Amino acid sequence: MSRLTQSFLARTALIAATALLFLPLGALGQTAAAPASSTPSSSEKTTTSGAKDRWLHVRVVSSDAKGETVRVNVPLELAEAVLPTVNHNRMHDGKVKIECAHMNDVDLKTLVEAVHNAKDGEYVTVQGRENDVRVAKQNNYLIVHVLDKSNGKARNSQVEIKVPMKVVDALFSAGKDELDLVAALHALSGQGDMELVSVKDTDNTVRVWLDSKNVTE
Amino acid sequence: MLLLAKAALGLGGTLVLAGAYTFHEGVIRVDVDEYRDGGSHVHMWVPAAAVPMAMHLAPKRDLKHGAEHAREFLPVARAIIKEMKKYPNAEFVEVLDGADHVRIRTHDGKLQIDVDEPGEKVHVLCPLSTIDDVTRELEANARADAPAA
Repeated sequence: MSRLTQSFLARTALIAATALLFLPLGALGQTAAAPASSTPSSSEKTTTSGAKDRWLHVRVVSSDAKGETVRVNVPLELAEAVLPTVNHNRMHDGKVKIECAHMNDVDLKTLVEAVHNAKDGEYVTVQGRENDVRVAKQNNYLIVHVLDKSNGKARNSQVEIKVPMKVVDALFSAGKDELDLVAALHALSGQGDMELVSVKDTDNTVRVWLDSKNVTE
Repeated sequence: MLLLAKAALGLGGTLVLAGAYTFHEGVIRVDVDEYRDGGSHVHMWVPAAAVPMAMHLAPKRDLKHGAEHAREFLPVARAIIKEMKKYPNAEFVEVLDGADHVRIRTHDGKLQIDVDEPGEKVHVLCPLSTIDDVTRELEANARADAPAA
């Protein structure tokens, strides 16, 4: 091997060794390149989860001076997988015990079955001085509207709940005194984008909705 | 010079292998900054791969003690982490309260918790696979500790 070749090989080996030495530092640098607070805010982020993912979103916005906002985004698949592992108090295997199922001698499950089998229509309409309540079944959705007028007209609070009957059926599918949360979530995952709960009052605005995005609006 | 080059290549190769093994799971990062007199500033980087190794070396008695306390929540934690891995870049919780800002999210397969307050900043970044390993280890210890049925 000529002196020139030897020198060339040695230099190449030295450069390679130096490059190899710096590789882990580069990897470390890459890890460090994403500082904990440098990622864009939720509103800027793009979704990386699959298009089939269904996300349940909860947003609470306080109307006080500080404007407190809470945003919770939960993939339904995650909730379905996690709930059965929670065995605490009345919760077990994704079901929750409701010992008050016979409220004032009303069998809740039978009542739900009756609503399921009934035609669309308004079941409860109460118009009072303090509250307006409306419970109806419309296009396979159970709809509950409550308007609380007890604090004066300027401080009205309004609750709107719209739940697919499939979800209600799944919720009461477990047993007489149990709510099957996992079955309800599973039924919910088959639904399209929709708003489930909306609460508006002078202090807070609460919204619960379902869509395929992993970020809130 | 050739001998020196060979030695450097060998040493470099070994370091690369060691570095690749250490950092393939990423880094656990903890940053705590308290902006007040005497406030602490903690900036800690730990290779995630070192955690399972450290748990193997930790005294079994202490691990069992910890596992016993967390026994009820370990299956829940494992299920959450397992599912979170399916969402490597997602925002799960965000709380904005005036100047306070709390976020819990996943970023490139790591759990990231950011707490920003006017006088304090806490940022934690931990690979989900590391948390999974830790919960597995704790669960194994809890099982070993459980009385036979």
